[in-house]
Amino acid sequence: MRTFKGGFHVPDNKALTDSVSIELMPNVADYYVSLSQHIGKPAEPVVNAGDEVVEGQLIAKASSFVSANIHSPVCGEVIEIVKRKNAQGATVDYIHIKANGKQDKFTLPPLSDPTPEQIVQRVADAGIVGMGGAGFPTAVKLQPKDPVDSLIINAAECEPYLNCDNRLMIERTEEFIEGVRLIAKAINVSNIYIGIEANKMEAYNKLIALDGVIADTKEALANKKENDIVVVLLKKKYPQGAEKTLIKACVNREVPVGGLPSAVGCIVDNVGTAYAVYDAVVNGKTLYKRLMTVTGRGITTPKNLEVSIGTPLNAIVEFCNGLTDDTAKLISGGPMMGFSLADLDVCTTKTDSGLLALTDKEASTVLPTPCINCGRCAAVCPMKLMPMYIDFYTTVGDTDNAVKYGAANCFECGTCAYVCPAKRPIVQSVRLTKMRMKEKK
Amino acid sequence: MAKYVYSSSPHVKSPATTRRIMIDVCIALLPACIAGCVLMGVANPAYSKLGWLSFMQLLICCVSSVAAEFVYLLCCKKSFMTILKEFDFTSLVTGLLIGMNLYPTTKWYVGILASVFAIVVVKMLFGGTGKNIVNPAIAGRIFAFIAFGAAFGGSMAFVNPANGNAVQIVSPVSGGKVTAGATPLQTLFNADYTSTLTNLDLFLGTGVAGCIGEVCKLALIAGGIYLVVRGVLNFRWPLVYIAATGIVAVLIVWIESCFNTSGQFVPALMGTKFVPALKAFLPSILSGGLILGAIFMATDYVTTPNTKLGNYIYFALLGILTAVLRKAVKGEAVSFAILLMNLLVPLFDMYIRRKPFGYVKPVKEKKVKKSEQKEGV
Repeated sequence: MRTFKGGFHVPDNKALTDSVSIELMPNVADYYVSLSQHIGKPAEPVVNAGDEVVEGQLIAKASSFVSANIHSPVCGEVIEIVKRKNAQGATVDYIHIKANGKQDKFTLPPLSDPTPEQIVQRVADAGIVGMGGAGFPTAVKLQPKDPVDSLIINAAECEPYLNCDNRLMIERTEEFIEGVRLIAKAINVSNIYIGIEANKMEAYNKLIALDGVIADTKEALANKKENDIVVVLLKKKYPQGAEKTLIKACVNREVPVGGLPSAVGCIVDNVGTAYAVYDAVVNGKTLYKRLMTVTGRGITTPKNLEVSIGTPLNAIVEFCNGLTDDTAKLISGGPMMGFSLADLDVCTTKTDSGLLALTDKEASTVLPTPCINCGRCAAVCPMKLMPMYIDFYTTVGDTDNAVKYGAANCFECGTCAYVCPAKRPIVQSVRLTKMRMKEKK
Repeated sequence: MAKYVYSSSPHVKSPATTRRIMIDVCIALLPACIAGCVLMGVANPAYSKLGWLSFMQLLICCVSSVAAEFVYLLCCKKSFMTILKEFDFTSLVTGLLIGMNLYPTTKWYVGILASVFAIVVVKMLFGGTGKNIVNPAIAGRIFAFIAFGAAFGGSMAFVNPANGNAVQIVSPVSGGKVTAGATPLQTLFNADYTSTLTNLDLFLGTGVAGCIGEVCKLALIAGGIYLVVRGVLNFRWPLVYIAATGIVAVLIVWIESCFNTSGQFVPALMGTKFVPALKAFLPSILSGGLILGAIFMATDYVTTPNTKLGNYIYFALLGILTAVLRKAVKGEAVSFAILLMNLLVPLFDMYIRRKPFGYVKPVKEKKVKKSEQKEGV
């Protein structure tokens, strides 16, 4: 089984929702749609207070090359543009839409046998961004500056608890594969890999049962035809689904420090993104819904939901029968890289793959003790950095040395802080150093 | 609305804590402590008090180490409950190790003073857990060795305090006898190495006169295996250290045996003398405090380098230094070697660094610049 060096097996707790079918979240009365749900400039609103909008209609358009369109999740009336806190704690602009109960839908014309240019244009029109968490506009990614020869679909879903990609591959297998082929066509590559972690055998078996999809075994690879999709089974290890470790595991290439995957001829896209591309091209649907795992032992009924973007988390938790009394921590995203929430007064965005409510036993609330230099953080670091020094120099305020030990190369996967016996807040130190670097510039 | 914990990611953490690691180390040290007390007790049928003395020695060191830490922190105006809550068992490990590094007949106040020195001066004054520059237990032992001489005892400690006679230690396994302090180490580098003790004696600790913790190698190795299984210890480092010591000891014996009586090096002897020199390998790794030092003292997290390459070099140098010191000064080789190498750890960490994932050698840029400069000229 393929993998990368370093990393650590974090108990995945996926059993809570891995056999729960996707459920559609019913409409609520009020939606707040963020204008900055992606990396890059916030979108520019194209509607005004009092306008009536239809489900799927464009309400804000991309304001520059690296930006994305945003569409209305519901038929209703635009109330106002307000400032609200997002999951990361920053205050950004939101469009407040009040549902009016109508069932109209706006769709783009479906494309049959589209050209690569048409696919890229459609991806941009539908406002598709990377749905794994980073939210990089996909249309930009599909026009790489470097020549690329491989497409890797990130189906590792290495974050514990989350199951939305897993359920999507199980329940919408053919649509997902169709989406993968469309992306491959858009960037004109024939080496297509799907990297999937070994704890998703149901999805794996469903994938390799399809025509034109083969397993990563010697016999299967010997009979590989052009354009066959290779499903690579990966070792169950965190952070297997990080872009750089995934590329290393699937095609054994190392993305240079500070470089993008296209520097080694690869494009990496998430499962959810591939499905969104399928939906946009074949059904003409714009991106205003996504799958989300609502789980943790603090949620009364853990579920995999298809939610409209802009739904308040309050309503989602209520739909899952509320929180238990011993809930200690609320998290938007996964437990390793997600954001801790002060309350549930936040709305979903295109990048929210999960909402977790952890009890005191699950979430670690142990206070840090002095570093004993055991070196476990360095042993597990997938980027082969020396986290103990980054933490030390950040604590004493020496930004230069913290950068020297690789703070800028860290992608904050949190494996070091997970294994640390002294419970040092290493990721927080890295973020602090990155912030100080920005201030210096 | 209920208040929720608000913090930076990751939100889940492994169950490992410093305290758990230290408790594991204490558990791993127990077999050697028990074996030490028992073996000392049965070492001489005529003088059976040694076992009891060993136990008291360990107890005194543990209690005084932990007490020293508490008193120091109380002096720093920490409340007793906070100290108790934050107690991470590191001082207990230090106390146990100091006790194991003393002889059963070492005077009781030596143990107390060594423990207080190790905890207060070596550990707490440098900033407490994780901040010490050298291993506190090693420093405590060397402090006792240098400051007390006779009271510490060294290899001459096996004297019956009642009548001042040397205690003879008898091996129940092979029947070999050792009189006060004639540990095999001192005869090890004689080319015609012979000892009344067999290698099995050395391994089991039967008939060995030495520090409480270092006599039974079997128990030490069992403790080491426990730590490896628990993921606390990397098995490579003790192996590198022990192997390097053995190999260098063999080399020293070999080269020395190639000199003739008038002190001239005779290359012709090299072929015939190599095989006899190999006999020094097992005794050299099984005697003295090498195995105790290699498994439990040299591998202290705080005082070892942070990179794989650094650690290989560190432990290999440690082995070479131990063998050379044993030849040169005859005694205290392991502790002084560890102390010296501890002091060099910052250098290892400064000059040996890991290459990050996707590291690109910055060679190309330089070449381009040079060619540009030439074109410019």
